[in-house]
Amino acid sequence: MRPHFSRPAFFEGVRDMTPVLIGIVPFGMVCGIAAVSAGASPLAALAMSAIMFSGAAQIVAAQLLAAGAPLLVIVLSCLVVGLRFLVYSAAMAPYLRPLDHRWRGILSFVLTDQAFAGTIQRFRESGDLRANASYFLGGGVLLWVVWQLATLAGILVGQVIPASWQLEFVVPLCFLAILAPLLRDRVTLLVVAVAGVAAIALDDMPMRLSLICAGLIGIAAGAIADTFRGQHE
Amino acid sequence: MSKEATIWLAIFAVGAINYVARLSFIALFARRDMPPLLGRALKHVPAAMLTAIVVPAVVFVGQGVLRLDPGNAKLIAAVAALAVAAWRQSTTLTIVVGMAVLWLAQYALR
Repeated sequence: MRPHFSRPAFFEGVRDMTPVLIGIVPFGMVCGIAAVSAGASPLAALAMSAIMFSGAAQIVAAQLLAAGAPLLVIVLSCLVVGLRFLVYSAAMAPYLRPLDHRWRGILSFVLTDQAFAGTIQRFRESGDLRANASYFLGGGVLLWVVWQLATLAGILVGQVIPASWQLEFVVPLCFLAILAPLLRDRVTLLVVAVAGVAAIALDDMPMRLSLICAGLIGIAAGAIADTFRGQHE
Repeated sequence: MSKEATIWLAIFAVGAINYVARLSFIALFARRDMPPLLGRALKHVPAAMLTAIVVPAVVFVGQGVLRLDPGNAKLIAAVAALAVAAWRQSTTLTIVVGMAVLWLAQYALR
């Protein structure tokens, strides 16, 4: 199916995503600052935002780069961090499947934590695929454009922002906002508790391997808990 | 390998991996549903990975110094932000309250 672009829905998507920018702008700036202070050239720092387009992966890559980690460790860590896109892709797939290749290719590129969290509800509630796809595109394009501008701002003015502002704290805050609604499920609470304790216990591991290990331990805990819960049902 | 070469290779490798992951079920395996076993394993990925990123950023002050007491301004701010995020599903409010509490707590604890 080739849904023609719906301009009103596109701008509705832009408008509804605007409040999220209060977190995305400082987050993008932090990504720019982190990349440059890790030793990336300004052009490479911008390319990270344009091509990776994932705050979590960019922060992890910058931290590892600063620590002098080899390429393989950087790529592997980002791969594990990026596994959650598989989950978002699978959740979006039933709604986007009727679209043609071009639409799916573009919408996939702008599929982020924020775009997913902000639009999945609409897809579940409304069957108007043409409007929904344009709505998603509007929010996604806004996030991408602002992400580049914020990164550029971070590269340019990063040095003059006082360290006491602790701008980098918006990174955990952005993810807390996405995490909180998931916590209503008991198995998810267990996953979060186990991954959190593991992240603290394993912090001494070199090259932030604690990130991969704590994540995988949390996932394993959830899978085991599901198995037990499945037996009771 | 020079640092700049490492960065550029990482950018293209991670960019490609991220795009393939995003495309996966939307376009690449659009004909099939996620295998149940894979679905069960992947279901917990967002919660586990986001936790593994958030927790160290909150509980450690400086290099490897664990602070789980109210003297850690970041911990106070994160608890407040989590409460707000659970109460109102608003990214905006979560970040505004989180940063405000962080600055206040920092000021009060000084």
